[in-house]
Amino acid sequence: MTSARENRLTRLDEALRVYVLTDRELSRGRSEVDIVRQAIAGGATAIQLRWKQPSMYEALEIARELRAICRDRDVLFVVNDRVDLAMAANADGVHVGEDDLPVAATRSLVGESMIIGYSPPTIQDAVLAELDRADYLGVGPVFGTATKSDAGEAVGTGRIAEVSRQVQIPIVGIGGINALNASEVVAAGATGVAVISAVVSQEDVSVAARELRQAVDGVRERSS
Amino acid sequence: MAVVPCLHLIVDGSHMSANRLTMLVASAVNGGVEAVHLRDRSLPASNLLDVVERLRQTIGRRAKVIVNDRVDVAMLAGADGVHLPERGLSPDAARRLLGPSKTIGVSIHSVGAAIRAQELGADYLFAGHIFETESKPGEPGRGLEFFREVVCSVDIPVIGIGGIDARNAGQVLDTGAHGVAVISAILDSEHPDEVSREIRDAFSNVRIERP
Repeated sequence: MTSARENRLTRLDEALRVYVLTDRELSRGRSEVDIVRQAIAGGATAIQLRWKQPSMYEALEIARELRAICRDRDVLFVVNDRVDLAMAANADGVHVGEDDLPVAATRSLVGESMIIGYSPPTIQDAVLAELDRADYLGVGPVFGTATKSDAGEAVGTGRIAEVSRQVQIPIVGIGGINALNASEVVAAGATGVAVISAVVSQEDVSVAARELRQAVDGVRERSS
Repeated sequence: MAVVPCLHLIVDGSHMSANRLTMLVASAVNGGVEAVHLRDRSLPASNLLDVVERLRQTIGRRAKVIVNDRVDVAMLAGADGVHLPERGLSPDAARRLLGPSKTIGVSIHSVGAAIRAQELGADYLFAGHIFETESKPGEPGRGLEFFREVVCSVDIPVIGIGGIDARNAGQVLDTGAHGVAVISAILDSEHPDEVSREIRDAFSNVRIERP
């Protein structure tokens, strides 16, 4: 009866290792498709299309391209904010935050096969999101970050540890994470790390993704 | 396919209190507005959902509730349709999500875009803006000639938008418009019902003159 949910969660334990969010402004003139191809070549396990431009028409075209690239490489493909875009592009998942559609409403739209991620502002929100059947949580900002100006004060790896004690669903840490501090985040209880500029702004996107992947895999192997 | 309404009102929930919005919309629907569009780009999606649900409660089935841009919000709120900006999700993508019974409109600003939207399954078009309007300061209207060209290039209903009021609605309808969409002429009025009724009168006048 819970097999659709079990399938989603089994997949996430692998797919949330290195989760790369796109950002056109931070990509130094390179396209989303270029960045995603290189990130996957380096070892990214999940891609989120984070679209902040006005044209949803263009967003859907790009989402469909990324959808195909990710499917070829067995990489999780998630769309940020817009549930309709995620559904139209046939994404694996949708990620919603505090200002987006609520998790329960999102679940009623997407059904059982689509993965739902949520960014809880508080620990209580994390617990409620699990009850509303979110599949994973993005917790942060773990460290200080300049990318998301609206992200608020850093919560530290302590928050990762605390949330992971309160919920069963997997967590990715986000905010100011790079190859040097990624291992702390996973050691604190995260399944993996979500990054923007640590990958998309780097001259060699593929190497940046690989270094993050090595840091995450290193901790996971030691603890398994 | 659903019947396309003739008199559309576009509201923006972020610029006024919920009570005032409800009052204006109720009055306008009493005056004959047939479709209420919620267009609000600054409101978080969860609040947008609340506003759409409140609109539905206010007007029941006396007028259609149409959500701008967000197909997901339209689906959740049980809206009658979605209105897509020219650079919004394509109408065929929206149709796959919404199904055949919902109304899908598209804003267009060129004849090419009008033809494309029709091919992709739009039920109706908003073409404009026709007259200069406070909603788009500094942009001259595209005019009635442009509008007539759009009407002649597609088979689906075309609704005029942009600076339309009770005084000039007749000119737009004379060019073959299926209807008009109004913002400030109704929302800025002390009596939205009366203004709506005056615009409805322009429809009857045109229809009487036609063979």
